Amino acid sequence: MAGFSIRHVSKVYGGAVPTVALEDIDLTIHDGEFLCILGPSGCGKSTLLEMLAGLQLPTSGEIVYGDKILQGPDRRLGVVFQDPSLYPWRTVFENVELGLEIRGVKKADRKNTVQKYLTMVGLDGFEHKYPHQLSGGMKQRAGLARALANRPDVLLMDEPFGAVDHLTRLQLQNDLLNIWEAEKKTVVFVTHDVNEAVFLGDRVVLLSPRPGKLKQIFNISHQRPRERGDAGLLKIQNDIYAAIYENKKQAEPEYHL
Amino acid sequence: MSERGILWRIVAGQILLLVLFLGTVEVVVQKGIVGRLYLSAPTQVVQELVKLLQQSETFRNLYVTLLEFTLGFGLSVVLGFGIGLFLVLVSRAEQFFNPFLSALMAIPKVTIVPLLTLWLGIGLVHKVAVVFLFCIFPIIYNTVAGIKQTSENYLKVARVFEATSYQTVTKVILPSAVPSIFAGLRVSAGSGLIGALFGEMLASKEGLGNMLVQSTSLYDTARVFALITVVTVVSILIIAFINLLEKKVFLRWKSS
Ligand SMILES: Nc1ncnc2c1ncn2[C@@H]1O[C@H](COP(=O)(O)OP(=O)(O)O)[C@@H](O)[C@H]1O
Ligand SMILES: [Mg+2]
Repeated sequence: MAGFSIRHVSKVYGGAVPTVALEDIDLTIHDGEFLCILGPSGCGKSTLLEMLAGLQLPTSGEIVYGDKILQGPDRRLGVVFQDPSLYPWRTVFENVELGLEIRGVKKADRKNTVQKYLTMVGLDGFEHKYPHQLSGGMKQRAGLARALANRPDVLLMDEPFGAVDHLTRLQLQNDLLNIWEAEKKTVVFVTHDVNEAVFLGDRVVLLSPRPGKLKQIFNISHQRPRERGDAGLLKIQNDIYAAIYENKKQAEPEYHL
Repeated sequence: MSERGILWRIVAGQILLLVLFLGTVEVVVQKGIVGRLYLSAPTQVVQELVKLLQQSETFRNLYVTLLEFTLGFGLSVVLGFGIGLFLVLVSRAEQFFNPFLSALMAIPKVTIVPLLTLWLGIGLVHKVAVVFLFCIFPIIYNTVAGIKQTSENYLKVARVFEATSYQTVTKVILPSAVPSIFAGLRVSAGSGLIGALFGEMLASKEGLGNMLVQSTSLYDTARVFALITVVTVVSILIIAFINLLEKKVFLRWKSS
Protein backbone atom coordinates (compact mmCIF):
# COMPACT_ATOMS: atom_id res chain seq x y z
CA MET A 1 0.00 0.00 0.00
CA ALA A 2 1.44 3.31 -1.06
CA GLY A 3 0.01 5.64 1.55
CA PHE A 4 1.58 7.83 4.20
CA SER A 5 0.66 8.20 7.80
CA ILE A 6 2.14 11.35 9.29
CA ARG A 7 2.00 11.11 13.07
CA HIS A 8 2.54 14.16 15.28
CA VAL A 9 5.43 15.32 13.17
CA SER A 10 7.38 18.43 14.14
CA LYS A 11 10.48 19.85 12.55
CA VAL A 12 12.83 22.29 14.24
CA TYR A 13 15.84 23.64 12.36
CA GLY A 14 18.82 24.17 14.63
CA GLY A 15 21.11 27.16 14.60
CA ALA A 16 21.69 30.21 16.78
CA VAL A 17 17.94 30.87 16.77
CA PRO A 18 16.14 27.55 16.24
CA THR A 19 13.26 27.75 13.74
CA VAL A 20 10.14 25.71 14.32
CA ALA A 21 9.24 24.94 10.71
CA LEU A 22 6.38 22.51 11.40
CA GLU A 23 4.45 21.72 14.55
CA ASP A 24 2.48 18.60 15.32
CA ILE A 25 1.33 17.63 11.82
CA ASP A 26 -1.08 14.70 11.82
CA LEU A 27 -2.24 13.57 8.42
CA THR A 28 -2.99 10.46 6.41
CA ILE A 29 -2.28 10.44 2.68
CA HIS A 30 -4.28 7.78 0.88
CA ASP A 31 -3.02 5.45 -1.78
CA GLY A 32 -3.67 6.87 -5.24
CA GLU A 33 -5.00 10.24 -4.15
CA PHE A 34 -3.99 13.64 -5.48
CA LEU A 35 -3.24 15.68 -2.38
CA CYS A 36 -2.41 19.36 -2.51
CA ILE A 37 -0.54 21.08 0.29
CA LEU A 38 -1.31 24.77 0.29
CA GLY A 39 0.20 27.56 2.31
CA PRO A 40 2.06 30.85 2.12
CA SER A 41 5.77 31.06 1.53
CA GLY A 42 7.83 29.96 4.51
CA CYS A 43 5.12 27.91 6.22
CA GLY A 44 7.05 24.66 5.90
CA LYS A 45 5.65 23.12 2.71
CA SER A 46 9.05 22.19 1.30
CA THR A 47 10.12 20.89 4.69
CA LEU A 48 7.10 18.60 4.84
CA LEU A 49 7.65 17.39 1.29
CA GLU A 50 11.34 16.68 1.91
CA MET A 51 10.41 14.65 4.97
CA LEU A 52 7.94 12.65 2.87
CA ALA A 53 10.78 12.07 0.40
CA GLY A 54 13.06 10.85 3.19
CA LEU A 55 15.49 13.69 2.50
CA GLN A 56 14.99 15.00 6.02
CA LEU A 57 13.91 13.33 9.24
CA PRO A 58 11.29 14.73 11.62
CA THR A 59 12.56 16.24 14.86
CA SER A 60 9.74 14.42 16.63
CA GLY A 61 6.89 12.20 15.55
CA GLU A 62 7.12 9.73 12.69
CA ILE A 63 6.12 9.23 9.08
CA VAL A 64 4.99 5.77 8.12
CA TYR A 65 5.06 4.85 4.45
CA GLY A 66 3.39 1.57 3.54
CA ASP A 67 4.01 -0.37 6.74
CA LYS A 68 7.42 0.99 7.69
CA ILE A 69 8.70 4.15 9.36
CA LEU A 70 10.41 6.27 6.73
CA GLN A 71 14.15 6.50 7.44
CA GLY A 72 15.51 7.86 4.19
CA PRO A 73 14.98 8.05 0.43
CA ASP A 74 13.09 5.15 -1.09
CA ARG A 75 12.88 3.92 -4.66
CA ARG A 76 9.10 4.10 -4.55
CA LEU A 77 9.16 7.83 -3.81
CA GLY A 78 9.80 10.18 -6.74
CA VAL A 79 10.44 13.90 -6.37
CA VAL A 80 9.89 16.79 -8.77
CA PHE A 81 11.75 19.86 -7.55
CA GLN A 82 10.67 23.47 -7.67
CA ASP A 83 13.81 24.45 -9.53
CA PRO A 84 13.91 21.39 -11.79
CA SER A 85 17.61 20.84 -11.01
CA LEU A 86 18.37 19.11 -14.27
CA TYR A 87 22.08 18.39 -14.65
CA PRO A 88 23.34 20.92 -17.22
CA TRP A 89 26.08 18.54 -18.44
CA ARG A 90 23.55 15.90 -19.44
CA THR A 91 21.13 15.95 -22.34
CA VAL A 92 17.40 15.70 -21.65
CA PHE A 93 17.56 11.97 -22.39
CA GLU A 94 20.53 11.44 -20.08
CA ASN A 95 18.81 13.43 -17.33
CA VAL A 96 15.68 11.33 -17.58
CA GLU A 97 17.60 8.05 -17.44
CA LEU A 98 19.52 9.10 -14.31
CA GLY A 99 17.44 7.09 -11.85
CA LEU A 100 17.62 3.89 -13.90
CA GLU A 101 21.34 4.40 -14.52
CA ILE A 102 22.00 4.78 -10.79
CA ARG A 103 20.04 1.59 -10.15
CA GLY A 104 22.26 -0.22 -12.63
CA VAL A 105 19.66 -0.89 -15.33
CA LYS A 106 21.51 -1.68 -18.57
CA LYS A 107 21.69 0.99 -21.23
CA ALA A 108 19.70 -0.95 -23.79
CA ASP A 109 16.96 -1.65 -21.25
CA ARG A 110 16.74 2.01 -20.20
CA LYS A 111 16.03 3.32 -23.65
CA ASN A 112 12.39 2.25 -24.00
CA THR A 113 11.37 3.45 -20.56
CA VAL A 114 13.05 6.81 -21.03
CA GLN A 115 11.48 7.28 -24.46
CA LYS A 116 8.07 6.32 -23.15
CA TYR A 117 8.10 8.99 -20.45
CA LEU A 118 9.63 11.64 -22.69
CA THR A 119 6.69 11.05 -25.03
CA MET A 120 4.26 11.09 -22.12
CA VAL A 121 5.40 14.54 -20.94
CA GLY A 122 5.52 15.86 -24.52
CA LEU A 123 9.28 16.10 -25.00
CA ASP A 124 9.54 13.95 -28.10
CA GLY A 125 12.28 15.33 -30.30
CA PHE A 126 14.09 17.09 -27.46
CA GLU A 127 16.09 14.06 -26.30
CA HIS A 128 19.44 15.43 -27.39
CA LYS A 129 18.97 19.01 -26.23
CA TYR A 130 20.74 20.31 -23.15
CA PRO A 131 18.68 21.87 -20.34
CA HIS A 132 19.83 25.41 -21.18
CA GLN A 133 18.16 24.98 -24.57
CA LEU A 134 14.73 24.36 -23.01
CA SER A 135 12.05 26.81 -21.89
CA GLY A 136 10.99 26.88 -18.23
CA GLY A 137 7.91 24.76 -18.89
CA MET A 138 9.92 22.18 -20.84
CA LYS A 139 12.46 21.95 -18.04
CA GLN A 140 9.66 21.10 -15.64
CA ARG A 141 8.39 18.48 -18.07
CA ALA A 142 11.88 16.96 -18.16
CA GLY A 143 12.00 17.01 -14.34
CA LEU A 144 8.67 15.18 -14.27
CA ALA A 145 9.86 12.62 -16.81
CA ARG A 146 13.02 12.04 -14.77
CA ALA A 147 10.91 11.23 -11.70
CA LEU A 148 8.45 9.06 -13.66
CA ALA A 149 11.12 7.04 -15.47
CA ASN A 150 12.28 5.61 -12.16
CA ARG A 151 8.76 4.09 -11.81
CA PRO A 152 7.92 5.38 -8.32
CA ASP A 153 4.55 4.75 -6.63
CA VAL A 154 4.38 8.29 -5.28
CA LEU A 155 5.16 11.62 -6.91
CA LEU A 156 6.18 14.36 -4.52
CA MET A 157 6.05 17.72 -6.28
CA ASP A 158 7.29 20.99 -4.76
CA GLU A 159 5.67 24.00 -6.45
CA PRO A 160 6.71 22.54 -9.79
CA PHE A 161 4.85 25.11 -11.87
CA GLY A 162 5.62 28.09 -9.67
CA ALA A 163 8.08 29.70 -12.04
CA VAL A 164 6.35 29.31 -15.43
CA ASP A 165 3.98 31.75 -17.10
CA HIS A 166 0.25 31.48 -16.49
CA LEU A 167 -0.86 29.89 -19.78
CA THR A 168 1.96 27.34 -19.73
CA ARG A 169 1.03 26.55 -16.16
CA LEU A 170 -2.59 25.76 -17.10
CA GLN A 171 -1.34 23.44 -19.84
CA LEU A 172 1.07 21.71 -17.45
CA GLN A 173 -1.75 21.21 -14.93
CA ASN A 174 -3.92 19.52 -17.56
CA ASP A 175 -1.07 17.32 -18.71
CA LEU A 176 -0.19 16.37 -15.15
CA LEU A 177 -3.78 15.28 -14.47
CA ASN A 178 -3.76 13.14 -17.61
CA ILE A 179 -0.50 11.50 -16.55
CA TRP A 180 -1.81 10.94 -13.04
CA GLU A 181 -4.90 9.23 -14.38
CA ALA A 182 -2.87 7.07 -16.76
CA GLU A 183 -0.18 6.13 -14.23
CA LYS A 184 -2.35 5.78 -11.11
CA LYS A 185 0.21 7.17 -8.71
CA THR A 186 -0.22 8.92 -5.41
CA VAL A 187 0.60 12.60 -5.90
CA VAL A 188 1.51 15.07 -3.17
CA PHE A 189 1.56 18.49 -4.79
CA VAL A 190 2.83 21.55 -2.94
CA THR A 191 1.62 24.95 -4.10
CA HIS A 192 0.91 28.45 -2.86
CA ASP A 193 -1.73 28.96 -5.56
CA VAL A 194 -5.29 28.40 -4.29
CA ASN A 195 -6.72 28.07 -7.78
CA GLU A 196 -4.16 25.46 -8.75
CA ALA A 197 -4.72 23.45 -5.56
CA VAL A 198 -8.49 23.36 -6.06
CA PHE A 199 -8.31 22.46 -9.74
CA LEU A 200 -5.87 19.59 -9.15
CA GLY A 201 -6.54 18.04 -5.77
CA ASP A 202 -8.83 15.39 -4.34
CA ARG A 203 -8.05 17.08 -1.06
CA VAL A 204 -6.37 20.36 -0.19
CA VAL A 205 -4.46 20.60 3.07
CA LEU A 206 -4.13 24.19 4.25
CA LEU A 207 -1.14 25.01 6.43
CA SER A 208 -0.99 28.06 8.66
CA PRO A 209 2.29 29.96 8.92
CA ARG A 210 4.88 30.34 11.65
CA PRO A 211 5.13 27.68 12.84
CA GLY A 212 3.51 25.57 10.14
CA LYS A 213 0.43 23.83 11.51
CA LEU A 214 -2.31 21.91 9.81
CA LYS A 215 -5.10 24.45 9.58
CA GLN A 216 -7.88 22.71 7.68
CA ILE A 217 -8.48 19.98 5.11
CA PHE A 218 -10.83 20.60 2.16
CA ASN A 219 -12.39 17.68 0.30
CA ILE A 220 -12.93 18.27 -3.39
CA SER A 221 -15.06 15.45 -4.65
CA HIS A 222 -15.86 17.02 -8.02
CA GLN A 223 -15.73 14.58 -10.87
CA ARG A 224 -12.96 14.80 -13.41
CA PRO A 225 -12.23 16.18 -15.91
CA ARG A 226 -13.03 19.39 -14.11
CA GLU A 227 -14.11 22.65 -15.68
CA ARG A 228 -12.03 25.68 -14.79
CA GLY A 229 -14.38 28.25 -13.30
CA ASP A 230 -16.88 25.60 -12.18
CA ALA A 231 -19.18 27.19 -9.58
CA GLY A 232 -18.60 24.43 -7.04
CA LEU A 233 -14.82 24.76 -7.34
CA LEU A 234 -15.08 28.54 -6.97
CA LYS A 235 -17.09 28.05 -3.81
CA ILE A 236 -14.36 25.88 -2.28
CA GLN A 237 -11.79 28.39 -3.44
CA ASN A 238 -13.66 31.12 -1.55
CA ASP A 239 -13.88 28.94 1.55
CA ILE A 240 -10.12 28.49 1.41
CA TYR A 241 -9.54 32.22 1.04
CA ALA A 242 -11.80 32.75 4.05
CA ALA A 243 -9.79 30.25 6.07
CA ILE A 244 -6.53 31.93 5.02
CA TYR A 245 -7.94 35.32 5.93
CA GLU A 246 -8.87 34.00 9.35
CA ASN A 247 -5.25 32.85 9.73
CA LYS A 248 -4.09 36.31 8.86
CA LYS A 249 -6.41 37.96 11.36
CA GLN A 250 -5.05 35.78 14.13
CA ALA A 251 -1.51 36.51 13.13
CA GLU A 252 -2.04 40.21 12.69
CA PRO A 253 -1.31 41.49 16.23
CA GLU A 254 2.19 40.09 15.73
CA TYR A 255 2.83 42.72 13.08
CA HIS A 256 1.42 45.65 15.03
CA LEU A 257 3.51 45.18 18.15
CA MET B 1 27.15 51.40 -39.33
CA SER B 2 26.52 47.68 -39.24
CA GLU B 3 28.10 45.51 -36.56
CA ARG B 4 30.14 43.79 -39.30
CA GLY B 5 31.42 47.07 -40.64
CA ILE B 6 32.57 48.15 -37.20
CA LEU B 7 34.33 44.81 -36.75
CA TRP B 8 36.22 45.26 -40.01
CA ARG B 9 37.32 48.74 -39.00
CA ILE B 10 38.60 47.46 -35.67
CA VAL B 11 40.56 44.66 -37.35
CA ALA B 12 41.98 47.08 -39.93
CA GLY B 13 42.99 49.46 -37.13
CA GLN B 14 44.69 46.65 -35.22
CA ILE B 15 46.70 45.58 -38.27
CA LEU B 16 47.65 49.18 -38.95
CA LEU B 17 48.91 49.64 -35.38
CA LEU B 18 50.97 46.44 -35.58
CA VAL B 19 52.52 47.42 -38.91
CA LEU B 20 53.29 50.90 -37.62
CA PHE B 21 54.95 49.48 -34.51
CA LEU B 22 57.06 46.90 -36.38
CA GLY B 23 57.92 49.48 -39.05
CA THR B 24 59.12 51.96 -36.44
CA VAL B 25 61.31 49.34 -34.76
CA GLU B 26 62.70 48.32 -38.18
CA VAL B 27 63.63 51.92 -39.07
CA VAL B 28 64.99 52.70 -35.61
CA VAL B 29 67.34 49.69 -35.77
CA GLN B 30 68.29 49.98 -39.46
CA LYS B 31 69.22 53.68 -39.04
CA GLY B 32 71.32 52.81 -36.01
CA ILE B 33 69.27 55.00 -33.63
CA VAL B 34 69.24 52.04 -31.25
CA GLY B 35 72.12 49.58 -31.44
CA ARG B 36 71.66 46.02 -32.72
CA LEU B 37 72.81 44.79 -29.35
CA TYR B 38 69.68 46.14 -27.66
CA LEU B 39 66.98 45.64 -30.28
CA SER B 40 66.57 43.66 -33.47
CA ALA B 41 64.87 44.68 -36.67
CA PRO B 42 61.71 42.56 -37.23
CA THR B 43 63.11 41.40 -40.60
CA GLN B 44 66.25 40.10 -38.83
CA VAL B 45 64.11 38.32 -36.25
CA VAL B 46 62.15 36.63 -39.03
CA GLN B 47 65.39 35.53 -40.73
CA GLU B 48 66.66 34.21 -37.41
CA LEU B 49 63.36 32.42 -36.82
CA VAL B 50 63.61 30.70 -40.20
CA LYS B 51 67.17 29.68 -39.36
CA LEU B 52 66.07 28.32 -35.97
CA LEU B 53 63.34 26.26 -37.56
CA GLN B 54 65.90 24.69 -39.92
CA GLN B 55 68.17 23.55 -37.10
CA SER B 56 67.54 20.18 -35.47
CA GLU B 57 69.07 21.59 -32.30
CA THR B 58 66.01 23.80 -31.87
CA PHE B 59 63.67 20.87 -31.99
CA ARG B 60 65.79 18.82 -29.64
CA ASN B 61 65.64 21.63 -27.09
CA LEU B 62 61.93 22.20 -27.72
CA TYR B 63 61.39 18.50 -27.08
CA VAL B 64 63.30 18.70 -23.80
CA THR B 65 61.26 21.66 -22.57
CA LEU B 66 57.98 20.09 -23.63
CA LEU B 67 58.93 16.80 -21.95
CA GLU B 68 59.75 18.58 -18.68
CA PHE B 69 56.50 20.50 -18.91
CA THR B 70 54.34 17.51 -19.79
CA LEU B 71 55.72 15.30 -17.03
CA GLY B 72 55.52 18.02 -14.38
CA PHE B 73 52.09 19.17 -15.47
CA GLY B 74 50.72 15.64 -15.80
CA LEU B 75 52.00 14.76 -12.35
CA SER B 76 50.38 17.82 -10.80
CA VAL B 77 47.09 17.19 -12.57
CA VAL B 78 46.90 13.66 -11.19
CA LEU B 79 48.14 14.50 -7.71
CA GLY B 80 46.45 17.90 -7.45
CA PHE B 81 43.14 16.45 -8.45
CA GLY B 82 43.56 13.51 -6.05
CA ILE B 83 44.57 15.75 -3.16
CA GLY B 84 41.67 18.10 -3.93
CA LEU B 85 39.22 15.18 -3.87
CA PHE B 86 40.71 13.87 -0.64
CA LEU B 87 40.47 17.26 1.05
CA VAL B 88 36.77 17.74 0.35
CA LEU B 89 35.49 14.20 0.51
CA VAL B 90 37.25 13.07 3.68
CA SER B 91 35.51 14.88 6.49
CA ARG B 92 37.67 17.35 8.40
CA ALA B 93 40.64 16.81 6.07
CA GLU B 94 40.40 20.30 4.64
CA GLN B 95 39.99 21.86 8.06
CA PHE B 96 43.12 20.05 9.24
CA PHE B 97 45.36 20.70 6.24
CA ASN B 98 44.18 24.20 5.38
CA PRO B 99 46.82 26.17 7.34
CA PHE B 100 49.63 24.08 5.87
CA LEU B 101 48.33 24.44 2.34
CA SER B 102 47.84 28.18 2.72
CA ALA B 103 51.41 28.55 3.99
CA LEU B 104 52.80 26.49 1.10
CA MET B 105 50.77 28.46 -1.41
CA ALA B 106 52.07 31.74 0.00
CA ILE B 107 55.74 30.85 -0.61
CA PRO B 108 56.96 32.53 -3.80
CA LYS B 109 57.83 29.39 -5.74
CA VAL B 110 60.89 30.82 -7.51
CA THR B 111 62.74 30.94 -4.20
CA ILE B 112 62.65 27.16 -3.97
CA VAL B 113 64.17 26.52 -7.40
CA PRO B 114 67.88 26.90 -6.35
CA LEU B 115 67.25 24.56 -3.42
CA LEU B 116 65.77 22.02 -5.79
CA THR B 117 68.95 22.27 -7.86
CA LEU B 118 70.91 21.42 -4.76
CA TRP B 119 68.73 18.40 -4.06
CA LEU B 120 67.99 17.12 -7.56
CA GLY B 121 70.82 18.32 -9.81
CA ILE B 122 70.28 20.15 -13.09
CA GLY B 123 68.69 17.44 -15.21
CA LEU B 124 65.17 16.34 -16.11
CA VAL B 125 64.11 15.42 -12.57
CA HIS B 126 64.93 18.93 -11.38
CA LYS B 127 62.84 20.57 -14.12
CA VAL B 128 59.91 18.22 -13.60
CA ALA B 129 59.97 19.08 -9.90
CA VAL B 130 60.03 22.82 -10.68
CA VAL B 131 57.08 22.53 -13.08
CA PHE B 132 55.23 20.43 -10.51
CA LEU B 133 55.84 23.05 -7.83
CA PHE B 134 54.55 25.80 -10.10
CA CYS B 135 51.44 23.84 -11.14
CA ILE B 136 50.08 21.87 -8.25
CA PHE B 137 48.55 24.50 -6.00
CA PRO B 138 46.12 26.14 -8.43
CA ILE B 139 44.91 22.66 -9.38
CA ILE B 140 44.28 21.64 -5.76
CA TYR B 141 42.64 24.95 -5.03
CA ASN B 142 40.29 24.90 -8.01
CA THR B 143 39.38 21.25 -7.53
CA VAL B 144 38.36 21.98 -3.94
CA ALA B 145 36.47 25.13 -4.93
CA GLY B 146 34.69 23.37 -7.80
CA ILE B 147 33.58 20.44 -5.67
CA LYS B 148 32.34 22.70 -2.90
CA GLN B 149 30.27 24.70 -5.38
CA THR B 150 28.18 21.65 -6.30
CA SER B 151 24.59 22.77 -6.00
CA GLU B 152 22.72 21.44 -2.98
CA ASN B 153 19.79 20.65 -5.27
CA TYR B 154 21.89 18.51 -7.63
CA LEU B 155 22.92 16.47 -4.60
CA LYS B 156 19.30 16.13 -3.48
CA VAL B 157 18.40 14.66 -6.87
CA ALA B 158 21.12 12.05 -6.42
CA ARG B 159 19.93 11.27 -2.90
CA VAL B 160 16.36 10.76 -4.09
CA PHE B 161 17.68 8.15 -6.52
CA GLU B 162 19.69 6.58 -3.70
CA ALA B 163 23.04 7.08 -5.42
CA THR B 164 26.03 5.52 -3.65
CA SER B 165 28.83 7.82 -2.52
CA TYR B 166 30.90 6.70 -5.48
CA GLN B 167 28.05 7.41 -7.91
CA THR B 168 27.46 10.80 -6.33
CA VAL B 169 31.11 11.69 -6.85
CA THR B 170 31.36 10.47 -10.44
CA LYS B 171 27.91 11.41 -11.70
CA VAL B 172 27.28 14.69 -9.87
CA ILE B 173 30.19 16.24 -8.02
CA LEU B 174 32.93 15.82 -10.63
CA PRO B 175 30.92 16.90 -13.69
CA SER B 176 29.70 19.99 -11.89
CA ALA B 177 33.28 20.81 -10.81
CA VAL B 178 34.70 20.51 -14.34
CA PRO B 179 34.56 24.23 -15.26
CA SER B 180 36.39 25.22 -12.09
CA ILE B 181 38.97 22.44 -12.51
CA PHE B 182 39.71 23.57 -16.06
CA ALA B 183 40.14 27.15 -14.89
CA GLY B 184 42.82 25.75 -12.57
CA LEU B 185 44.45 23.80 -15.40
CA ARG B 186 44.74 26.93 -17.55
CA VAL B 187 46.38 28.94 -14.79
CA SER B 188 48.70 26.03 -14.01
CA ALA B 189 49.71 25.40 -17.60
CA GLY B 190 50.83 29.02 -17.95
CA SER B 191 52.91 29.00 -14.78
CA GLY B 192 54.19 25.48 -15.46
CA LEU B 193 55.82 26.57 -18.71
CA ILE B 194 57.32 29.55 -16.91
CA GLY B 195 58.66 27.10 -14.32
CA ALA B 196 60.30 24.90 -16.95
CA LEU B 197 61.95 27.88 -18.70
CA PHE B 198 63.04 29.47 -15.45
CA GLY B 199 64.57 26.23 -14.22
CA GLU B 200 66.46 25.88 -17.51
CA MET B 201 67.66 29.45 -17.42
CA LEU B 202 68.96 29.00 -13.90
CA ALA B 203 70.70 25.66 -14.21
CA SER B 204 70.61 23.29 -17.17
CA LYS B 205 72.41 21.86 -20.15
CA GLU B 206 69.52 21.94 -22.57
CA GLY B 207 66.03 23.22 -23.27
CA LEU B 208 64.60 26.43 -24.75
CA GLY B 209 65.43 28.35 -21.56
CA ASN B 210 69.02 27.21 -21.88
CA MET B 211 69.14 28.37 -25.51
CA LEU B 212 67.78 31.75 -24.46
CA VAL B 213 70.48 32.26 -21.84
CA GLN B 214 73.21 31.17 -24.26
CA SER B 215 72.02 33.48 -27.02
CA THR B 216 71.82 36.36 -24.56
CA SER B 217 75.36 35.75 -23.34
CA LEU B 218 76.56 35.70 -26.97
CA TYR B 219 74.80 39.05 -27.54
CA ASP B 220 72.81 37.38 -30.32
CA THR B 221 69.77 39.60 -29.75
CA ALA B 222 67.92 38.64 -32.92
CA ARG B 223 68.13 34.99 -31.89
CA VAL B 224 66.80 35.87 -28.43
CA PHE B 225 63.76 37.56 -29.98
CA ALA B 226 63.23 34.62 -32.30
CA LEU B 227 63.33 32.25 -29.31
CA ILE B 228 60.88 34.43 -27.39
CA THR B 229 58.55 34.10 -30.37
CA VAL B 230 58.88 30.31 -30.34
CA VAL B 231 58.19 30.12 -26.59
CA THR B 232 55.17 32.39 -26.93
CA VAL B 233 53.70 30.23 -29.67
CA VAL B 234 54.25 27.11 -27.54
CA SER B 235 52.47 28.76 -24.62
CA ILE B 236 49.53 29.79 -26.78
CA LEU B 237 49.26 26.28 -28.22
CA ILE B 238 49.22 24.69 -24.78
CA ILE B 239 46.36 26.91 -23.58
CA ALA B 240 44.51 26.40 -26.87
CA PHE B 241 44.85 22.65 -26.43
CA ILE B 242 43.35 22.79 -22.94
CA ASN B 243 40.49 24.98 -24.15
CA LEU B 244 39.81 22.57 -26.97
CA LEU B 245 39.82 19.60 -24.61
CA GLU B 246 37.36 21.37 -22.31
CA LYS B 247 35.05 22.31 -25.18
CA LYS B 248 35.11 19.00 -27.01
CA VAL B 249 35.09 16.59 -24.14
CA PHE B 250 33.41 18.26 -21.22
CA LEU B 251 31.51 21.37 -22.06
CA ARG B 252 29.27 20.67 -25.00
CA TRP B 253 26.48 21.77 -22.68
CA LYS B 254 27.98 25.19 -22.03
CA SER B 255 27.89 26.25 -25.65
CA SER B 256 25.64 29.10 -26.82
N1 LIG C 1 17.87 24.10 6.06
C1 LIG C 1 17.24 25.01 6.82
N2 LIG C 1 17.83 25.52 7.92
C2 LIG C 1 17.19 26.41 8.71
N3 LIG C 1 15.95 26.86 8.48
C3 LIG C 1 15.30 26.40 7.41
C4 LIG C 1 15.90 25.44 6.52
N4 LIG C 1 15.01 25.15 5.54
C5 LIG C 1 13.91 25.90 5.80
N5 LIG C 1 14.07 26.64 6.92
C6 LIG C 1 13.05 27.51 7.53
O1 LIG C 1 11.91 26.75 7.79
C7 LIG C 1 10.75 27.47 7.45
C8 LIG C 1 9.95 26.70 6.42
O2 LIG C 1 10.67 26.65 5.21
P1 LIG C 1 10.14 25.89 3.91
O3 LIG C 1 9.81 24.50 4.28
O4 LIG C 1 11.14 26.09 2.84
O5 LIG C 1 8.80 26.71 3.60
P2 LIG C 1 7.98 26.82 2.22
O6 LIG C 1 8.40 25.73 1.31
O7 LIG C 1 6.55 26.70 2.65
O8 LIG C 1 8.25 28.17 1.66
C9 LIG C 1 11.20 28.84 6.97
O9 LIG C 1 11.09 29.74 8.05
C10 LIG C 1 12.63 28.61 6.58
O10 LIG C 1 13.38 29.79 6.78
MG1 LIG D 1 9.21 25.89 -0.63
